[in-house]
Amino acid sequence: MKQFLLTSYNRLASLDLGLWLLAGTMLFLAIGSFLQGEGSSINEVPLLLWLREVPLRESWWLWVSLLFLVMLALNTVLCSIDSLSAKWQRGSFLSRIAPQAMHLGFLLIMVAHLQSAAGSFKQAVEVGPGFGITFADGSRLVFTDFSATYSPMGMPTSLSATFTYPKGGGTATATISPNHPFFYQGHGIYVKDVAPPPMKRALVEVHREPGAGMALAGGLIFTVANIVLLFRRRGRS
Amino acid sequence: MKLLLLLPIALYLGGGLKRPLFVFAALAELAYLGSRGIQLGRLPLIGPHDTLLFFSTACALMAIPFLFSRGVGGSSPFRWGVSLLAAVTTLMALPFPAFNMPMPPILNTLWFELHVALAFFAYALFGIGAILGIVYLQRAERPLLDLQYRAALVGFSFFSASMTSGGIWGYYAWGTYWLWTPKEFWTSILWLYYGFYLHIRLKGQAWERGVAWGGIIGFGVTMFTYLGVSLLMKSSHSF
Repeated sequence: MKQFLLTSYNRLASLDLGLWLLAGTMLFLAIGSFLQGEGSSINEVPLLLWLREVPLRESWWLWVSLLFLVMLALNTVLCSIDSLSAKWQRGSFLSRIAPQAMHLGFLLIMVAHLQSAAGSFKQAVEVGPGFGITFADGSRLVFTDFSATYSPMGMPTSLSATFTYPKGGGTATATISPNHPFFYQGHGIYVKDVAPPPMKRALVEVHREPGAGMALAGGLIFTVANIVLLFRRRGRS
Repeated sequence: MKLLLLLPIALYLGGGLKRPLFVFAALAELAYLGSRGIQLGRLPLIGPHDTLLFFSTACALMAIPFLFSRGVGGSSPFRWGVSLLAAVTTLMALPFPAFNMPMPPILNTLWFELHVALAFFAYALFGIGAILGIVYLQRAERPLLDLQYRAALVGFSFFSASMTSGGIWGYYAWGTYWLWTPKEFWTSILWLYYGFYLHIRLKGQAWERGVAWGGIIGFGVTMFTYLGVSLLMKSSHSF
């Protein structure tokens, strides 16, 4: 029994398994990129809901990719444990820790995707002056003004929407534009389009992305550790 | 103005014979890109004309340290390889129109420019890694493989930073750091691929030719991610 567990552990922590799992994940994501047609609702609802709702013939590639990714996560954790215990006495601290910090960043990115897959939210709303978006606690954002400017070729060069929101017993005003959303009660308010004057209408989206913070942490840890590794290996073959 | 690009193309080809010509070609193309940037008031990163030139210039600038390195600097196949890569990508940009439109509001942010510029630096290094792999397969000189690894590792660092800045841009622009579109699929595949490549190296000397091939195939994945997805698949990232 002990021998069986040891063999299983070694297999699960092996580099070979990691390489096969990476190859499998790439293969099924590539298949998915060709199968995902236009008009798919995959970006419109939380991923776990999408997986529950769509027929298996549409989502099978993602189920297989997820299976590979779960195995890859386990392989990454075990590989890091093995590597740290084997090399703890050798080399500098940074050289030992940098690859494992990259693994940690990778795992955090996967957990972030899982969080977003379970709890993300997206709702598009067409709004006009006086239109309100009501939140769960009853508070309302009320749109008051919109503006759009266009280039001589008719391309929008700036868009914005202004609204009031409850703040400290009174109301405050905020303006949103592309790349400058407003965050309220864990939701982001984004302006997507504004109708040309004199019409006063805009397309606004409300998003919640619970994995964003962890994805950012994972991305930063991965990148910084990658750069550290690069400098530690400078001049070494 | 586009005809000015014939100068760097000719100089790149001359760079296959003499390294200083390659440096002059890179400077000439950089000057062209700089003039486009001044004309537009931003980094020229929209449309196939500008992105191909940005990619070509990135290839040339990233290749210069390798061209003057002890390990590969004197290698004629490597010189010709990077010269052809830079010349062909510059040539590919010529038929496409140079867009002079203002930056769409959604792209008008430092995060977008950082995301795209870092991605092209990574693509350039992956291209150089592929050329080093080809030369290694001909000559079986170990330092070439070490240089390929370094090119891939630096490229991977740029690419990871590009993905992080792209996620930040996406969060502020679209409300999410991730969309299931062909470009994101292939960006992830490319990232995983170079993770795969960096791990193959751990398998030891018996896998040296496999590692060299890994760098070559990686550039194929890179080109599909950059050009293939934009030309063959519909994506919010298409040029």
